[in-house]
Amino acid sequence: MGKVNFFVRRTVQLVLTLWAVATVLFVLFRLMPGDPTSYIVSPQMTPEIRQQIIANYGLNDPMWVQYVRYIENLATLDLGRSFKTNEQVAEILATYLPNTLILMLTAFVIAYTIGVTAGVLTGWYRGSDFEKSAVVTALVGRSVPSFWVGILVLWVFGATLGLIPMSGMTAIGTEPSGFWDMVFSVGFLHHLVAPVAVLAFYYMGYPLLIMRNSMLETLSEDFIDICRAKGLTERAIMFRHAARNAMLPVLTAAAIAVGYAIGGSVLIETVFGWPGIGREMIRAVLRRDYPVAQGTFLVLALSVIVMNFIADLLYGVLDPRVTYD
Amino acid sequence: MGENDTGAGMDRRHFLKTTAAGGLAATGAVAGAGSAQETTTGDGQETTQSGGDRAGQLLPQYTYLNNPANYNPARHDAINLIGTQLNKLGLRANVQVFEWGTLYNRVMQEQNFGFTTWNRGLGIDPGRRMPEMFHSSNTSPGEGNFTGYVNKDLDPTLMQQLQTSNTDERVNMLHQIQKTVNRDVPMHPIVQMPNIIAYNNQQVTGWTDHIVGYYHFEPMTNVKVKADHNELRGTWPETLGTMNVLGYNNETKLIHQFEMLYDKLIRINSELEPDPKMSLATEWERPNDQTVRYKIRQDHQWHDGEDVTPEDVKFTLDYIKDSQIPLYSTQHEMYGTDSVSVDGQWVQVNFSEKIGPVHTLFSNQIPIVPKHKWESRSDPANMSIEKPVGSGPLQFDYWDQGSELSLTKYGDHWNTVNFDRRIWRIIPESSTVWSLLKDGTLNYLPFTRIGRQLSQNQKQSQIGVQSTPGDGWWHFSQNTRKPGLDDVAVRQAAVHTIPKTAINEQVLYGFATEGWNLVGESFGKYSNPDVKKYQQQGNGVEVGKERLREAGYTFDSNGKVHFPE
Repeated sequence: MGKVNFFVRRTVQLVLTLWAVATVLFVLFRLMPGDPTSYIVSPQMTPEIRQQIIANYGLNDPMWVQYVRYIENLATLDLGRSFKTNEQVAEILATYLPNTLILMLTAFVIAYTIGVTAGVLTGWYRGSDFEKSAVVTALVGRSVPSFWVGILVLWVFGATLGLIPMSGMTAIGTEPSGFWDMVFSVGFLHHLVAPVAVLAFYYMGYPLLIMRNSMLETLSEDFIDICRAKGLTERAIMFRHAARNAMLPVLTAAAIAVGYAIGGSVLIETVFGWPGIGREMIRAVLRRDYPVAQGTFLVLALSVIVMNFIADLLYGVLDPRVTYD
Repeated sequence: MGENDTGAGMDRRHFLKTTAAGGLAATGAVAGAGSAQETTTGDGQETTQSGGDRAGQLLPQYTYLNNPANYNPARHDAINLIGTQLNKLGLRANVQVFEWGTLYNRVMQEQNFGFTTWNRGLGIDPGRRMPEMFHSSNTSPGEGNFTGYVNKDLDPTLMQQLQTSNTDERVNMLHQIQKTVNRDVPMHPIVQMPNIIAYNNQQVTGWTDHIVGYYHFEPMTNVKVKADHNELRGTWPETLGTMNVLGYNNETKLIHQFEMLYDKLIRINSELEPDPKMSLATEWERPNDQTVRYKIRQDHQWHDGEDVTPEDVKFTLDYIKDSQIPLYSTQHEMYGTDSVSVDGQWVQVNFSEKIGPVHTLFSNQIPIVPKHKWESRSDPANMSIEKPVGSGPLQFDYWDQGSELSLTKYGDHWNTVNFDRRIWRIIPESSTVWSLLKDGTLNYLPFTRIGRQLSQNQKQSQIGVQSTPGDGWWHFSQNTRKPGLDDVAVRQAAVHTIPKTAINEQVLYGFATEGWNLVGESFGKYSNPDVKKYQQQGNGVEVGKERLREAGYTFDSNGKVHFPE
């Protein structure tokens, strides 16, 4: 019963949070300086036609009317049409979001695999040179701007050595026959390597440092001594007992990090010419394309909120000591 | 002045709207003239109207609007440089940075600025935008005469030059306009911007100079590719957005595509002459100033194999009028409903008013679309077009949105291109673009921005750079509604201080030329060589100060300018 109540309560909270975010987005974009009509209409147009276009987009309606219409549309999952291209925002998201997800999730999986493993080892071999170098690498990865690392990688491995493609998801002139055909092509993997490596380098520090701290805590507990007393191998103690128990904070942090990661790939998409949602979001903001900007920001907010929700649920599932009261 | 008082017996308001997209508001003159700013008398004598209430007072502070450094770094730096000079002159010019949308709104809607600068182009016709920019009835918010310049004596000439089909007469009128505007300087060119194309010279040759740019039909059909793939490979920093030729907002990146996907009744060649070899019409005639007839090319097909017919032309003209397509409103408001007719292979258009240079104002502006594809589309401006069908020398291949557009050679065109395919890749990062151009992955930059990278990379052996005078310039515009700037003497003094040489050499790496006339020399005989040149004569600031002293202005101990006593 407690679990059901918790689930319902958190779902209501999730919806309310989304409504609040949607409202803040609506207000913020309209408070921004700059006139969206300056991008919609052209100086070549007559005033009557300008007014007609502005009316078509409902931009001459009172703000509260625009807000009510916006919320109503959101409730029916209608994110509107781009001021700039007249495309459905949902179609724009469908075009660009998969590209971002592939980039981000690949980097994420690699980062967490390496990061968690390295975290276990640094915790186990505390005080060693390995630990010092791993921690320094993790801190550098988190501290150095990822776009700067990306530019360096492009310069060295792309422009100088010619080992990686400089931009995009496919070679110039390669007509994609379909999304999945493209994803499983050698050319795509070749283009994926550099941006994924840079992103993974950035993501990796977080799980590494959390896992290391968690390991240090776990290794100081009594049951580790009991394991040794039982004559278990060091390898078994490290991975089967210590790492498994130390994993809980990493898993819950990972759920939240996934949410943030979608937004975090924005700069990398720009540097590597990756046609993802982040690039479109920047374009929409710069052009005051409210529907697209709101739509993309809502997707990012949704991913963070939902992953937080999942993290909350995971706590209870993974750690029996957590109650829902 | 009555609405028909243009000297030509026509409805000025209507003509202004239709030919120059200037807008309706004749009452706008009131807004523009509100601060007693007629700067010239009927005989052209300059006047200084300080007004008794401000005699001896300090000139107000003026805001000089600047775009952010990352939006256009060169222009950002140039504006800062000019702002410094204006302050040296004794004006209190406060340079403020705004993002582009805000800046544009401040100028066009709020009209709240002292000085402003951005890029302007005249297109293929040097007089088409003159009424929009300088006519007295076009000064209301949102209309084209954002400087608020009022000169009732010039208004008739601004309109008449659009109506006369006699070239010599028109040249004389445009010369007069240039001379007057250049004397009154509500707007002045800082630098004349060239058309520039950077390309990989190991793969691409044969660019033809054209005043509109290297994307134009003529340069694009002349250019040759030497690479094995025989593809012209270019790039753009942002996504294209739409393939709807009737539903876009005149963005350069899309003009580049539609220019080659669709034919136009008349094309203007690099000699600025209508050229039947490039046009959908093989012959044309003008029975009178309100009628034009075109003989449509026979045996030409759309990209899907259907015949291109005169009915397609009539359909296009009627359709954009019936659908009120915003982008072509300037054109479709020139003719009425039922004013387009077909007679065999000929199409006739009857205009509502007299039209002068009909080909530059009308015939080469509208892309002809296929009737069989568009007649069932009820909301053409808002259509999402995935695979456009045109009749131009390039046809649609594929569009991987956000990533790449490919157009292939249409071999059945009467004027084919010399390459097999043109690809545009979206690449936001400019250093990546230059790397790819150098290694031959790309072979031309359709929009080559003037800057340090161009300056440095043009020294590379495989990089070619071709440049030709263009139709545009960076303008230095003054809000003539503001006290002080309503006096021609102050405006002339301000213009004297513009460090054109420094801007061109230091900011634009010498690629541009110093501006001195709104209609530059690239327009040939249309450019008046006798207009006043506001060049720096030794020290432009001192020349400007001298101009102010002549007009009775004084300077205080801090060097700031005061109105005449």
